[in-house]
Amino acid sequence: MKQEELLYAKTHEWVHVDRDAAGEKIATVGISHFAVEALTDLVYIELPEVGRQVKAGESFGEVESVKAVSDLYSPVSGEIVDINGSLTMKLDQLHDDPYGAGWIVKIKLSDESALKNLLDYKAYQAQCAEEGH
Amino acid sequence: MSNAPARLPCRLIADAPAEGAWNMAVDEALLESAAASGRCSLRFYQWRQPTLSLGYFQSHAVRASHHASRACPLVRRQTGGGAILHDRELTYSLFIPQSHPLAVDSTRLYVVVHEAIQAVLQAHRVSATICANPHKVAKGEEPFLCFQRRAIGDMLSGTAKICGSAQRRRHGAVLQHGSLLFAQSGCAPELPGILELCGQPLTPAAVITAVAHELAGRLGFDFQPGELETDEFEAATGLLSRKYANPTWTERR
Repeated sequence: MKQEELLYAKTHEWVHVDRDAAGEKIATVGISHFAVEALTDLVYIELPEVGRQVKAGESFGEVESVKAVSDLYSPVSGEIVDINGSLTMKLDQLHDDPYGAGWIVKIKLSDESALKNLLDYKAYQAQCAEEGH
Repeated sequence: MSNAPARLPCRLIADAPAEGAWNMAVDEALLESAAASGRCSLRFYQWRQPTLSLGYFQSHAVRASHHASRACPLVRRQTGGGAILHDRELTYSLFIPQSHPLAVDSTRLYVVVHEAIQAVLQAHRVSATICANPHKVAKGEEPFLCFQRRAIGDMLSGTAKICGSAQRRRHGAVLQHGSLLFAQSGCAPELPGILELCGQPLTPAAVITAVAHELAGRLGFDFQPGELETDEFEAATGLLSRKYANPTWTERR
């Protein structure tokens, strides 16, 4: 996925919204390259169960690096319909391909209002520049 | 008139020894406070009895493999890493809000705090170095105890680890939690402390003010003695009963 076409949460998760075969809106969610770099050496990820309902801003998982445990926050509200189980064995995918093979969960949107709170690529880049100063 | 940049107010909390579950509940309440209200705090505390704290992701079943601490109470921390036997040591927890420049730089924050502690130890004639090149250990083969693991920034005296820390990030705020090993414990006899390694009998009183002084300059803090606010105390009380004193939480993995 092209970074320029994604939406971003202030907490560094990215979102790509598409429709599935049934016409439902599905948000694919991952974490940005900036976030992965800040986390440094990743050692463990805990993913949610498929079927869980999440609200925008709520923690849906956790990732551990050598020195820090960090929450992963859902940028949207809905039902978790898929998880990237391969990450538990190949955590390097988060680092090597954060916008492709490193996707984390897919969420069927129950409410699209949270999308309005997300940043576009340009605004997110500006936030990263400010945080990384 | 001074042109020096404004320093960030930071509470310095020196708590009396408490039960492990309460200590963990207070730490989470202060992290929530830093995230929600931007409060900055440095807390020092000890443990009423020798207590084993598991890293956030560690399996509770593995504690059985550590025979010397089997009779000790068990808690689970918010921070990652290996288990710590809290006995003849001093624990610190630092809470910084998202607005602080080091909130996004885990490694730098880790090193800055350890350098401050190192300066205090050296003033007490304790040999202390910062680990720069830890040997790699395969995933899943890390030692059970934090003080037997090595990571960049850990504090060593000779080859023995005397201070280790780990972080928890929440909504941009950071909790950094660490332990300074004053002396060997009978509940973890494989770990020598500063007393055995350097012959220096350190006390909390000798360390707390000095570390705060060192950190004030390095992190731009203006320390003021303080204690928990009412909302933080109430939050910790809730966390104690539903989480840290609850075996469902401690034994969840």
